[in-house]
Amino acid sequence: MTTETLLQRAGELLAPFAKGANNPETNRLDVQIAASDLPTAASALMNASWGYLAAITGMDLGTEANELEALYHFCEGAAVTTLRIHLPREGCPEIPSISDQIPAASFFERELGEMLGVTVVGTPDPTRLFLPDDWPVGIYPMRQDFKQEQAAAVEPDKTPERGWAGNKFIVPIGPQHPALKEPGHFEFSVDGEIITGARMRLGYVHRGIEKATEARNWIQNLYLLERICGICSHTHTSAYSQGVEKLAQVEVPERALAIRELVAGLERIHSHLLWLGVAAHEAGFDTLFMYSWRDRETVMNLLEELTGNRVNYSICVLGGVKHDIGAQHSVSIHKALDYLEERIRYYLDVATTDSGFLQRTRGIGMMSLEEAKRFGTLGPVARASGVKRDVRLDAPYGAYKRYPVSIITDDRGDMEARFVVRMKELLVTCFTIRTIVDNMPGGGIVTRFPRKIPAGETVSRVEAPRGEAFYYIKSGGGESPTRLKIRTPSICNWTSVLNKAVGHQLADVPMLIAGMDPCFSCNDRMVTVRRKSDSNTMTWSELREYGIKKYGPRK
Amino acid sequence: MTPLAALLSIMFFPAGITLILSGMLYEWADRKLVARFQNRIGPRWFQPLADTIKLLTKEEIKPQGLKSLLFYGLPIVALTGALTAALYAPILGFSPIYSFPGDLIVTLYMLSLMTMCIGLAGWNGSSRFSLIGATRSFTQLFAYEAPFLLALLGPAMAANSWVIKDVSAYAEGHYWMILTQPVGFVIALIGLMGKLELPPFDAPEAETEIVAGALTEYSGRGLALFHIGKSVELVVAVSLVTAFYLGGIGNPLLFLIKTLVIVLLMALLQAMLTRLRIDQTVGLWWRYGALLALLQILILILLKGWLA
Repeated sequence: MTTETLLQRAGELLAPFAKGANNPETNRLDVQIAASDLPTAASALMNASWGYLAAITGMDLGTEANELEALYHFCEGAAVTTLRIHLPREGCPEIPSISDQIPAASFFERELGEMLGVTVVGTPDPTRLFLPDDWPVGIYPMRQDFKQEQAAAVEPDKTPERGWAGNKFIVPIGPQHPALKEPGHFEFSVDGEIITGARMRLGYVHRGIEKATEARNWIQNLYLLERICGICSHTHTSAYSQGVEKLAQVEVPERALAIRELVAGLERIHSHLLWLGVAAHEAGFDTLFMYSWRDRETVMNLLEELTGNRVNYSICVLGGVKHDIGAQHSVSIHKALDYLEERIRYYLDVATTDSGFLQRTRGIGMMSLEEAKRFGTLGPVARASGVKRDVRLDAPYGAYKRYPVSIITDDRGDMEARFVVRMKELLVTCFTIRTIVDNMPGGGIVTRFPRKIPAGETVSRVEAPRGEAFYYIKSGGGESPTRLKIRTPSICNWTSVLNKAVGHQLADVPMLIAGMDPCFSCNDRMVTVRRKSDSNTMTWSELREYGIKKYGPRK
Repeated sequence: MTPLAALLSIMFFPAGITLILSGMLYEWADRKLVARFQNRIGPRWFQPLADTIKLLTKEEIKPQGLKSLLFYGLPIVALTGALTAALYAPILGFSPIYSFPGDLIVTLYMLSLMTMCIGLAGWNGSSRFSLIGATRSFTQLFAYEAPFLLALLGPAMAANSWVIKDVSAYAEGHYWMILTQPVGFVIALIGLMGKLELPPFDAPEAETEIVAGALTEYSGRGLALFHIGKSVELVVAVSLVTAFYLGGIGNPLLFLIKTLVIVLLMALLQAMLTRLRIDQTVGLWWRYGALLALLQILILILLKGWLA
């Protein structure tokens, strides 16, 4: 189906509830509905299997308009349908939950509740997801009139620890735990070695980036967003610049788009090899961990050669890219890929034939196609269950029309399939990178870019190594965005992990978590509450003084 | 033996200091080999010693609500067990300094004391990771103990003796028992890895699930003592397997090389295999290990009867 027919179909499905509809962009449909109609409208889309819930954007329209807005974005192929719901700003705005229809909505609803003060009626877990436990009640950071001092002035929330009632033997994993490379908190109730329940809490690395973007200009944001994640930094800059370029109606040179795709490919190789190592380590196969990380250095060095940086490449700029790829680079790219392809084939072989390793992966974390769709999984996790979902193909952006990639799926749905899908994806990526290097279009690599962006809003989607990254960008016509919503793939995949963990052995849990390749900093994007009475938070100079007092001056 | 000589033999040679230091060197060999197999550089030769000294100088923190006697006593008992076992084993290619009828069984149980102590230490802990680790340690103990015992019983039956000294002497005078009882050797080698909780049998201390298992709450001296105990156990057990299966005690240099070959084999297995879940470990031992060991014993009994 083409994007037009998809949008038409969505329009028909939503017609009974629509209080107004328009097409802000050719691939988008905006439908305004009443809050009470939300569950039925969501059901209508879900029953017709029209797309999946990509994100919920909560927005404060300010004290003048005195309204809040909740946007429910659904994606199918290249088409994006947004349900727009206006809520009163005063009193307690309420919105019905849709997590009965869409289990993945629960995380978005928790975020909406804590950030904007919207009560989501009927959501299964209304506790905090990102904000600190002692964040004061009734202060909502994403409101326009929120000030940092506000949080400090109000007494902290002293509600007792939220946890499970009853006599359950709970194994806490995190926030500090050797299985986790980044902080997150999981509680698994176990019966012997078998998991009977799972809960999670995020926000240990929440940095309030969405809020921070509103105080920075368009250019500064590029550098801030690059630091959302240390693994897929290029994903975020390319998603952001792509969206902003669309808003500014700037044509980006072909060559720049090709270079972006090339770097995205290299990033994917580095990310998947990193994942391979982590997953092998979780399973207790450290030799594979060491080998794959050694080989990952090849691609890291290559990225350094191309961009000057190993982690935050900083190659994307608004309107193009910063560095060109020359003939000398293409030689080293081909050379590095020769080595990597050989190694990736070897790892694919290990992941499918090593009997010891297969004991820990085959049949573990089995997820059927239906489940994968229902839980709203994305990226390689979804594709390992047979879901054909990949933004690079569904809605080719940038240079992906010119250099298409082929989709890799597997219908087995277990851990082994997740290894196979990722490794095969790397082989495809290597092939695409070679094509790009050999057929690089000529021309410049950057165009002029305005400081102010015309008012408007847009959606920008790119395929990160972990799945689709979704950006909603709204400009008020000024030098900085009015609202920037970032939805990263990891948060969509949690629902599946928490549900699938039940019934597995405790020993499989690290594998299950690793299987989705979680990226906590993507999820969290820290909030510190500074109070005078609070002796736990210190500034750098206070910490320095404390250190000198404790250990004495340098001798 | 005069009391002074006995004291010297317990404190310095072959038990005591010599044993502890050699345990550290074996541990280093193991770590270095695994590192090289994994394409890493690995530690320097004095690293285990440095680790131990560092641990001994660190503050020992006792969590609240634990029984002090058990918390401080268990590491000492564990180390004592391992050191006592060394008195009856052919350490570093020297004939055991003590021996009495049935010392083989006593030595094996002294070696198991370590696992018992680790399990009890975890049981005494307040941490959930310790508790799960302890459960796993005990579960694993029940899995490998019987096959490992049977694997060492094979040579003892062939030699018609329960005395380690006599079995080693018998092994020296006959074909290497790795040739006559190959199944026993494999089981003894893998059982040894289970006993020492080395990968792939490191489920009781699987760091990605339960942090450090039963020893999660231990720090400083207690942890150091457990570590020393483990490396002593490594030496004693490797010496036993070498003496039984690789042609007795012979000359010390040759003996040392043989023990290092065993360490090399263990390091290779550690690098090659993925950690087994606890149910897989138990399944492996009872489905294959124990049955094969029993089969070998049965063949041995039949052969002996027939030859006699």
